[in-house]
Amino acid sequence: MIAVHDLAKQYHVGDHVVHALKGVTMAVAAAEFVTIVGPSGSGKSTFMHILGCLDRPTTGRYVLNGRDVSTLPPDELARVRNETIGFVFQGFNLLARTSALENVELPLLYTRQGVVKAAERRDRAMQALEAVGLTDRAEHHPNQLSGGQQQRVAIARALVTQPSLLLADEPTGNLDSTTSHEVMEIFARLASDRGITIVVITHERDIAAYGSRTVDFKDGLVVTDRTNDALRSSALSVSSVALD
Amino acid sequence: MRKFLRHPVVDTAVKALSRNRLQTVLTMLGIAVGVATVLAMMAVGAGAQRSIEQQVRAAGLNQITIRAGNWRPKITDSDEAVAHQGDARESLRHPLDRFTGDVVPIAFHPEDDPMEKHDHPTARQRLGDLEAGLGSAATMTFGDAEALRRLPGVQYVAGGIHENVRVHLDGASHSPGRGPSTSAGPGKRWFTRMHGTDVMMPSIKRAWTFAGGRFFSEREQERAAQVIVLGQVVADKLFGPGVTPVGRQVTLWAQPFEVVGVVTSATWVVQPTPGDDQFDAVYMPYTTTQRLLNLSKLNDITVTAESSGDISRLSREITKLLRVRHGIGDNDPDDFTLITQATKALTTGGLPPSVARAVASNVAELEKVTLEQLALTMERASRTMTWLLAAVAAVSLLVGGIGIMNITLLSVTERTREIGLRMAVGARSRDVMRQFLFEAVVISAAGGLAGIVVGVIASVGIARALQWATVVSPWSVALAFGIATGVGVFFGWYPARRASKLDPIVALRRD
Repeated sequence: MIAVHDLAKQYHVGDHVVHALKGVTMAVAAAEFVTIVGPSGSGKSTFMHILGCLDRPTTGRYVLNGRDVSTLPPDELARVRNETIGFVFQGFNLLARTSALENVELPLLYTRQGVVKAAERRDRAMQALEAVGLTDRAEHHPNQLSGGQQQRVAIARALVTQPSLLLADEPTGNLDSTTSHEVMEIFARLASDRGITIVVITHERDIAAYGSRTVDFKDGLVVTDRTNDALRSSALSVSSVALD
Repeated sequence: MRKFLRHPVVDTAVKALSRNRLQTVLTMLGIAVGVATVLAMMAVGAGAQRSIEQQVRAAGLNQITIRAGNWRPKITDSDEAVAHQGDARESLRHPLDRFTGDVVPIAFHPEDDPMEKHDHPTARQRLGDLEAGLGSAATMTFGDAEALRRLPGVQYVAGGIHENVRVHLDGASHSPGRGPSTSAGPGKRWFTRMHGTDVMMPSIKRAWTFAGGRFFSEREQERAAQVIVLGQVVADKLFGPGVTPVGRQVTLWAQPFEVVGVVTSATWVVQPTPGDDQFDAVYMPYTTTQRLLNLSKLNDITVTAESSGDISRLSREITKLLRVRHGIGDNDPDDFTLITQATKALTTGGLPPSVARAVASNVAELEKVTLEQLALTMERASRTMTWLLAAVAAVSLLVGGIGIMNITLLSVTERTREIGLRMAVGARSRDVMRQFLFEAVVISAAGGLAGIVVGVIASVGIARALQWATVVSPWSVALAFGIATGVGVFFGWYPARRASKLDPIVALRRD
């Protein structure tokens, strides 16, 4: 699904150069649920941006679904983001004064076939909301929803184009621990039930434990990369009870 | 419309604009003022153009009168102005000497009633010998008029017979010894000018309007009916002011005539005055005149040109045609006289005779010169007004445009995260650009529509308040709207471009 080879990224800040990534090589299989941890400044966000086709590496290769996307022009990257990738942010990034349903419809306005017809948009957005259990909140505006509900709307928005890769940058950063687990549970189920590849950045160890694999970043390099089946299954059983 | 409003780009724009409602409305106001000014400017310009055309027509500048006979006042080199034509002794353009001879200066015009005590100037005093018919010869026929009608560039042709007459209100004609009574009513009579003319006359006289009734009809002309149209002055003198005499009877040449209409001036510039030959006059079909007076000739033929710039050419054509029809040899002078507004202005305009003669003989395109001068003066006035309004329009559109740029930039700043999000979910630069450009255009177009409404009202207001004709054409409305939209695109471009160039990563991090 994802294969990065010797990925490096440098920024120019004034006179000096910041090496955000110094050569990352890793692969993520389809339907894998990977969590990325690391202190701030470790390069994990930069790595996420490149994975999300929001940014291009300075050197190295990024192959997504068998296609080298590291040198694509901006419009092509936008297309990849629209068709293949779903984003979930720490701050939800929902449009204010706009219903949950319309928020979820947003990516459908930018498909390469043009704007999806209103009726179809609505159907697909409702399906996505159903996947996160929020069909009864479709007409609510973000300010009428709790933080957990808002993040579930954001997940529905990421799912509406049926992407094969879902990227989440600190998705639980603004949530309390109960709702954090609910959200992580949804990610886990999406990976196992729908075969969506999921990459989540977090700095909380218990959240990272939801991943089938946890990658540790430090100073622009991968320091550890381990699978954590035991943790995952135990966490899963706990949250399953909580959800029911 | 519903579908349009539900289009995501439109929907987003409406939501975004309603977020800063006050700023949006104020920005629209700026554009509205600009557009309204543009519209008023064009309305005033077009109105001025039209009023120039109307005045040119009303002044009879497209009119040629061909008078039978070839008598002209001679212009002497004395200091006396040409305007005093009664004393003129020399011909302006000297035909062959054997035809002119000397015109004996006489105290009274032969057609004036020497016994009448006038309380207004005689025809001769007010019009001069030439216009009063002195020196006329009955050389023109109805056939000539018909022939002129077929010339290309000719609009209307009307033959005319002119006499001085005394019009009696019923009952007056039987007591000839009675002096003129001072008040209107039965027994009243009025000495005036009679024009036997053509049904076409109201079309030629653009400055006419009917205070009551109508002009005589084609059928009445064919039948040589005894119908008469009174000038306003005559109607007032005979029937009293404010009375509509349509249907009443008057007597001329001891014959009863039915009054079918009263004609008066359509513009305040020309007021009906006793002795003016137009409204101190009566009109009847020339056929009636011919029948009653046993005449077969015409005194004159009035021709109007389709274009007033065509007068010179048409004058030459008419001269050529009439000379052929009248069988005049190459070396013989015309037996008719062509009078245009330009030559008339020259001979009665108080120019020193030597100058008048020099001008008349040397300026071939005289009509064009006078026309152009009139048009030029009026155009200059309207151009000043137009430029003034154009300056106001430009300034307010500029200010409005800067307002649009300002509010769009504000919107871009406020919605940076939204832009980042849209880009993250697949919006391309051009999608973002289009969104913000559209919002700018919505403001300017809405402002433009408001401006059109205000501009139309303002144009009507200008017309009312300043007595300045204004014309709002659909074309100018379309142009004003186009300008408004253009301003939106122009001033929305920079903010929209800035939005489209945002880095989604940076935009998403922005608070």
